[in-house]
Amino acid sequence: MIEIKDLHKSYKMGSNSLHVLKGINFSVEEGELVAIMGSSGSGKSTLLNILGMLDNSDSGEYILDGVPIKNLNETKAAQYRNKFLGFVFQSFNLINYKSALENVALPLYYQKVGRKERLEKSLKYLDQVGLKEWAEHLPSELSGGQKQRVAIARAMAAEPKVLLADEPTGALDSKTSYEVMDLIQKINDQGNTILIVTHEPDIADMCKRIVHLKDGVIIEDKKIKQVRAEQYV
Amino acid sequence: MFDRDIWQEIFHSIKNNKLRTFLTGFSVGWGIFILVLLLASVNGMQNGFTRQFSDDATNSIFIRAGVTSVAYGGFEAGRRIQLRNSDIEYIKRSFPKDIEYISPRIYSGVSARYKSETGSYNVQAVYPDHQMIEKTLVSKGRYINENDLRNASKVAVIGRKVAEDLFKKEDPVGKFVEFNGLPFRVIGVFTDDGDDNAERGVYAPSSTFQLMYGQNDEINQIALTYNPNYDLTEALEFSERLESVFKRKFKVAPQDQGGIRVFNYAEVFENISNFTGGLDFAVIIVGLLILLAGIVGIGNIMVFIIKERTKEIGVRKALGAEPWQIIKLVLFESVFITALSGFIGLAIATGLLSLIGPNIQTDAFANPSVGMSIVVTATVILVVAGVLAGLIPAMKAAKVRPIVALSDK
Repeated sequence: MIEIKDLHKSYKMGSNSLHVLKGINFSVEEGELVAIMGSSGSGKSTLLNILGMLDNSDSGEYILDGVPIKNLNETKAAQYRNKFLGFVFQSFNLINYKSALENVALPLYYQKVGRKERLEKSLKYLDQVGLKEWAEHLPSELSGGQKQRVAIARAMAAEPKVLLADEPTGALDSKTSYEVMDLIQKINDQGNTILIVTHEPDIADMCKRIVHLKDGVIIEDKKIKQVRAEQYV
Repeated sequence: MFDRDIWQEIFHSIKNNKLRTFLTGFSVGWGIFILVLLLASVNGMQNGFTRQFSDDATNSIFIRAGVTSVAYGGFEAGRRIQLRNSDIEYIKRSFPKDIEYISPRIYSGVSARYKSETGSYNVQAVYPDHQMIEKTLVSKGRYINENDLRNASKVAVIGRKVAEDLFKKEDPVGKFVEFNGLPFRVIGVFTDDGDDNAERGVYAPSSTFQLMYGQNDEINQIALTYNPNYDLTEALEFSERLESVFKRKFKVAPQDQGGIRVFNYAEVFENISNFTGGLDFAVIIVGLLILLAGIVGIGNIMVFIIKERTKEIGVRKALGAEPWQIIKLVLFESVFITALSGFIGLAIATGLLSLIGPNIQTDAFANPSVGMSIVVTATVILVVAGVLAGLIPAMKAAKVRPIVALSDK
């Protein structure tokens, strides 16, 4: 599903250049649930940005579902993001003046799906995250965990190839974190490929594979036995 | 392009920032309001001027004779030029296609008496055509006719004030009034709503006065109207032709305004339309500058809105919004606010004008109003303004990098 070869990225800081990613080789199969771990400055967020086509690499190859991702203009990148990727953010990033349902429908709107079909589909995904009754509520009327579940429904609504989650539990207490992880595990059980950036070991343990980054290189890449979140909920 | 979602988003954004939207919209609405009122004022001024002059036929020309001020053609300066009946015949013969109505004017003062009432009045001795030239309204009886002229009848058409002075409550038509001791039959009463003073005048046939007071064929002035189908240039060209012919005939220097003076109302109208045209132009410039301030205001607000919504725009882009879709969002909002507030300004201004405009009827200012063309122009300006105001912020928004949505700083 994802193939990365010898990926380099550096940022210019005035006259100095900061080498953030120093040759990453990494691939993800369909249906995997991968945790990307590392301390701040390890390059894990940069890697996620490049995977999410939000940033360009300096050199190296990135192939997503057989499509080489290279030299994209803004419009093309937007279309690829819409088609291939679903995003879940630490701070949810729901649009605060839109109802839960409308938020979930947004990626479908950009896919130019008709209004009626869009809302039907969104309601289905809201139902999957258990928030069907909250469809007409504004984000401000939801709890943190509920917001993140809406965000996950939104990410899933476009039926992406890969779900990218940047610290999805970073703003939640541990009980809610486990609820969200339970949901992510269930989505993964349906065969969806998911990448999670986290620095919390207990969250990483709930994935199937842990990739450890340090100073821009992968220092460890191991398959683990998944801890099911269900038991903590 | 005009789907429900775009409008929903625009309304959301407006609803959430009512005061800010109002303040920005106000500046544009105000700009349009001022622009329309200014244009209407110029229009009102124009109406005022036109009304003042429309009392006389607007296609009239007057030829006056006086004393030459320059030596010319072997004559010394200071020669008196005298117009005669023959000059009228001469004009009729020479310019048959250019002339509509023509009449001499012979001025004299008379002391009038009816029974015990007396008064002094100015008499204009004229042709029947003069009624059309001066647009004299006869309220009772009739005007001078060809028979009166041919027979040099002692008849008079008196002004309303004259009738009031001399005849009090009596009906003057058919009665005899003495002018300088000679009896004249009153054949009609005229009114002039432009001017009370004109109603203190008397009209009589020119032949009568020429016969009575000197047995000559002298006249003071020639009044005529030219072909009403002439436009301004044709009219001015004709009066120039007339002037040069007359100056040649009387051997008056071409630039000498004392000897022969041809006065054309068209000149006045040309001056007025030049003046109001210039004013129109100045007003449009001022109005547009005021509007520009409003546009800058909207642009300013839009930049601010974009800054505030950076994160949201980033999220949208991460979810797959193309740059054009973001531009559309900002541009539509800007055009919507501009157009809406502009229309409100336009509506208030035109409403105000239609309410108070017809009640304003002073000498120099009458019925200020705006035409359809101004409304259409203003609308076009508004939409263009909205696009301009939104364009820079929209481009800025399209350049927002989705990466900022991910960073939680």
